[in-house]
Amino acid sequence: MIRRVSFSLAPGRILGVVGESGAGKSMIGRAIAQALPAGFAITGGTLHLGGEDLVHLTPARRRALLVRDIAFVPQEPMTALNPAMTIGAQFSEHLKRLGIASRRKRRERALQLLDEVHLPDGAALLRRYPHQLSGGMCQRVLIALAFAGRPRLVVADEPTTALDVTIQARIVQLIAELQRHEGTSVLFITHDLRLASRICDEIIVLYAGRAVERGPAASLLATPAHPYTRCLQLAAPAMTGSRRTLFALPDRMPGLAALADMRGCRFAPRCPVAEADCRTVDPPDRTTGQSRIVACLHSDNTAGIEPPNHAIVPPANAGDTLLRLDHAGKRFRIGGRPFRRSSAMWAVRDTTFEIGAGEFVGLVGESGSGKSTLARLVMGLERASTGRIVLGGRDITRASPADARHRLHWAQMVFQDPQSALNPRRLIGDIVTQVLQAGRRPVDRAQRMERGCELLAEVGLGGEMLDRYPAQLSGGQRQRVNIARALCAVPRLLVADEIVSGLDVSVQAQLLALLQRLRAERGIALLFISHDLSVVRHLCSRVLVMHHGAIVEQGPTEDVFASSRHPYTRRLLAAVPPDDPVTEWQPFPDEVELAATPAADPPRAAAAAPSR
Amino acid sequence: MTTILLLLGRRVLMAVPILLTVSILLFVALRLLPVDPAAMSMPPNATIEDVEAKRREMGLDKPLPVQYAIWLRDALHGDFGRSIQLRRDAAHLVTTALPATLQLALGAMLIASALGLGGGLLLFHVRGRPAEALGDLGTTVLLSVPEFLWALLFILLFGVLLPVLPFIGQLGPQFSVASVTGFLLLDTLLAGQPDAFVSALTHLALPATALGIAFSPAIMRVLRSSLLDVYQEDYIRQARLRGIGEWRILVMHALPNAILPTLTLMGVQFGFLFGGTLLVEVIYSYPGLGNLMVDAVRNADLPIIQTVGLTYCIVVLLIGMAVDALVLILNPRLRGA
Amino acid sequence: MTAPRLLRSGRVLVGAALILLVALCALFAPLLARHDPGDQDLLSILLPPAWEHGGDAAFPLGTDSLGRDELARLLFGARLALIVAITAACGAALLGAVLAHIAGYFGGFVDWLIGRAVEVWMSFPPVILSLILMVGLGTGADKVVLAIVLVDWTRFCRVLRAEVLVTTRRDYVAAARLAGFTHLQTLTREILPATLPLLITLLSLEMGIAVIVEAVLSFVGLGVSADQAAWGQMIADARTSFAQAPWTLLVPMAAIFLTVTGFNLLGDGLRRTLDVRLGAARSA
Repeated sequence: MIRRVSFSLAPGRILGVVGESGAGKSMIGRAIAQALPAGFAITGGTLHLGGEDLVHLTPARRRALLVRDIAFVPQEPMTALNPAMTIGAQFSEHLKRLGIASRRKRRERALQLLDEVHLPDGAALLRRYPHQLSGGMCQRVLIALAFAGRPRLVVADEPTTALDVTIQARIVQLIAELQRHEGTSVLFITHDLRLASRICDEIIVLYAGRAVERGPAASLLATPAHPYTRCLQLAAPAMTGSRRTLFALPDRMPGLAALADMRGCRFAPRCPVAEADCRTVDPPDRTTGQSRIVACLHSDNTAGIEPPNHAIVPPANAGDTLLRLDHAGKRFRIGGRPFRRSSAMWAVRDTTFEIGAGEFVGLVGESGSGKSTLARLVMGLERASTGRIVLGGRDITRASPADARHRLHWAQMVFQDPQSALNPRRLIGDIVTQVLQAGRRPVDRAQRMERGCELLAEVGLGGEMLDRYPAQLSGGQRQRVNIARALCAVPRLLVADEIVSGLDVSVQAQLLALLQRLRAERGIALLFISHDLSVVRHLCSRVLVMHHGAIVEQGPTEDVFASSRHPYTRRLLAAVPPDDPVTEWQPFPDEVELAATPAADPPRAAAAAPSR
Repeated sequence: MTTILLLLGRRVLMAVPILLTVSILLFVALRLLPVDPAAMSMPPNATIEDVEAKRREMGLDKPLPVQYAIWLRDALHGDFGRSIQLRRDAAHLVTTALPATLQLALGAMLIASALGLGGGLLLFHVRGRPAEALGDLGTTVLLSVPEFLWALLFILLFGVLLPVLPFIGQLGPQFSVASVTGFLLLDTLLAGQPDAFVSALTHLALPATALGIAFSPAIMRVLRSSLLDVYQEDYIRQARLRGIGEWRILVMHALPNAILPTLTLMGVQFGFLFGGTLLVEVIYSYPGLGNLMVDAVRNADLPIIQTVGLTYCIVVLLIGMAVDALVLILNPRLRGA
Repeated sequence: MTAPRLLRSGRVLVGAALILLVALCALFAPLLARHDPGDQDLLSILLPPAWEHGGDAAFPLGTDSLGRDELARLLFGARLALIVAITAACGAALLGAVLAHIAGYFGGFVDWLIGRAVEVWMSFPPVILSLILMVGLGTGADKVVLAIVLVDWTRFCRVLRAEVLVTTRRDYVAAARLAGFTHLQTLTREILPATLPLLITLLSLEMGIAVIVEAVLSFVGLGVSADQAAWGQMIADARTSFAQAPWTLLVPMAAIFLTVTGFNLLGDGLRRTLDVRLGAARSA
């Protein structure tokens, strides 16, 4: 699956491996550990660490290398520590294998390591179990374990994807700091080109298992030589400057099965500047100035790729008030069972805001901040404990059946996880026309399929999808179906909960374009919940910042982002790496993260998957 | 430690309403019976007036809730009524029979645990090999043999075909052992009668094995599937990436996590197992609660049925609590919350 | 869509074949048996099977201590076993599944109440509870069925409730509510299709359990009346004579084993093919 990927990593350098999901970036890390999933094998080529062949190793030698010379920082810190062992026991086990025989010395070294990753009160921490730690703390522990043996190589596979943005920034900086301190080489695997350019010395861009471009981080981002790199860059919304239309790559990366009989350049079918020979000739690696290596026959064309030049329609002024929340709040009982004392927590407190017709409003905050509960309140999936909710002129606070019928044509919801939001046992055609099936007088199937076809066309899907099951669709397609279903009742407001968070940038750009088209064509309003500030900036005219269940700041997006008044907003903004690779990036210090007690999740949120 | 005690205390408190409900259900179910306990306790030549008088004396003319209240009051004072058939104190009959049943159940649990955990590890070990399919099929077939078929099969095999083990009662007829604890294996040792101990042990062998073997395949399956689940976890992959050997991963990282769901299931299984003693006792004429119960049922001996039924429930609840306590001690997640 | 996959599963095929065999025996019992199951022939008691020395071709599987034909009793016993198994399992499934769906979907107080009821039921060992119920209900096939339903609904309720809970938390259920589905529509169109494979699997396993329970109750003498042919009854009768005539014990034991194995193989095969989560749900 991976083809012609070559790199060398000098001691004390950081190499970034960047690619979208399915590009094969994780396979590189696994190949180094000789831990490929079943069905994959290294069929050719070489892999050396300091002169030692990593492909042909005895199991004993491999384990010895893993103990001392190669270390891994995982993607999901919360599940990568053994839940049945204390942190101390896990340190002790590893340090013992590193040859520290005395128990007291192991403890000293563990405390020293915890100090190096800026975890305070190490002695107490050693007695704790992983479930008592937050995700960020777990990742710090895992980083400390990784650097414990002063390894020559550390492989960090998406080490921040599962963490909140503010923590993400600190973890990335921590890895860079330890790397400088210990002189280790780091292989940093990520999907985020901008993030990689911040901490890496050199970057490799992967597409469909092939290294398409490689070069020094700063120059690679400044002047991408491969069309794909350029497209990736143009697909991501910016944090500064004027809003530009995103470049949405059509289609998606070819899957494993399609790769086998593909000829020529693997990117050619989607490439905006492909020429005839691209489809027949497999491009060789070519070196172009500044030690840059590009696998493209026509890399001179790359600079010519420009985003669609129609300027983005400035968000229209909001019309009449569509939705108004008046001091709305939601309290959950924790462990609430009859005849048992229960504590309560406010998932949403004293929230007041308005959304006008045709207005796009962003709602940002970290996981557990109450964003999703607020969405569920608006949609009547939870009943407000306090305050008032008015939608389309009707007070729907009580969430009665009559309120529900009213809401049907005013507001609909697009759910976060398209996997969970589409019933795997129903056909797409039935899913999108669900509204017509409900109630006492369902519409007959032929008519529904006709409407289903219209809806799918509206979100850019073909009518042939009607007879498919959700499992036969890609992630981006599923999210479109999700939107189509919400549109069926012709609502005036869409509530979208993290609908682009799990998707690759090129698919994300496609969906954002779709939402903008819906506003232009149908004047639809949107409550857009996201943790990604750049997406909110791109899409929304107004933004609400939520922290611990309360809205701490709201206002026009540009104003809030340019001159935020609340420290939490500033912290969120600081966590985003600047667009320009030269600008200094200074996220907030550790103390803020470690002092913040993790908010108790409401019962439902605890059961749902953590939002990324 | 204190949190564990607190949680356990709460578990014990939770058992009280359950027991009360169970006793009410038992009481109501048995009052639906088309039998008249008063008439049954009278000689056959008693007149209708005598029976009526007896009914009043036994409180059977009062409304059901009042009858229950009286029963509950007496029960809390240790008076569970008298056996109509055996004309003995119900509480006494039960306490005499209980140790024998507990001994059988404990032996069976030991055998079920050993076979179940060993088999589970073996099934896990052969994963991905041809033997796995065989093992799978084997457990399905084993699951189809209930304890009473094992009991009968063992009698045919080791009692008739290869007469090596006794299959009637719990002690050879030539021995007589003073009852101190009620547990025969202990009493024979306390009385210094090693021959009797061996006899008691051989008498226990077939019933305990029959019962234990019937409950082992479920344990095998759960341990295997828990281990398979645990091996999918990130922390196992991460441990491998830290260069830890396979053996240590199994013992130190996988088993402590996989044992928790296995233990939880074993708690439920051992509850069923305790009920299973009844049939095995009947088949092996083993003098425990089961034979007491079946005799009482055949004779509609209500006080005994009620008391023995309640005893079964109490023991099942105790088994549940013991397993919960063990899971609590082994699972840091439950403790630290 | 799943039918061809089901036919490719060896377990499903073998299990179904075993049950079909038992069902055919039960259906054609009057034609296959040469004697009435109650007929006593005191001149030919404890005859060995026909192929053994001293066997009589008129009694293919031999006779019991009252000279009754083992084959006839076996065939008529199969009738009882299957009727009880199917009706009792369906009844328990219906009761348990309805309660499980109500509890898991609506949650709150109903869920709490049903959960406590299951807990109370679970503190009774099933054998003990069914014995007590039979004391209250009296003997007869219908009473056996009722007792099994009243005892075993918890097996369905416990396992299905967890599955309903998982499904209810899916966003597609919330989406259905937002589309205006009533609770009943949501339950039948969104939740039931997800729990049905598990329900079918449990149903098959429960039929095996019901066969065992019926045999146990007949064995203890609390099942059907003594003159009706039942496998448990045959075992009880054989207890006095198995030393001289082991076949009187082996014949009903083999019948119970094969029937239960059939249901278990079918259930196991269904679980694998329909791919549902299922802990070890078992045991009589």
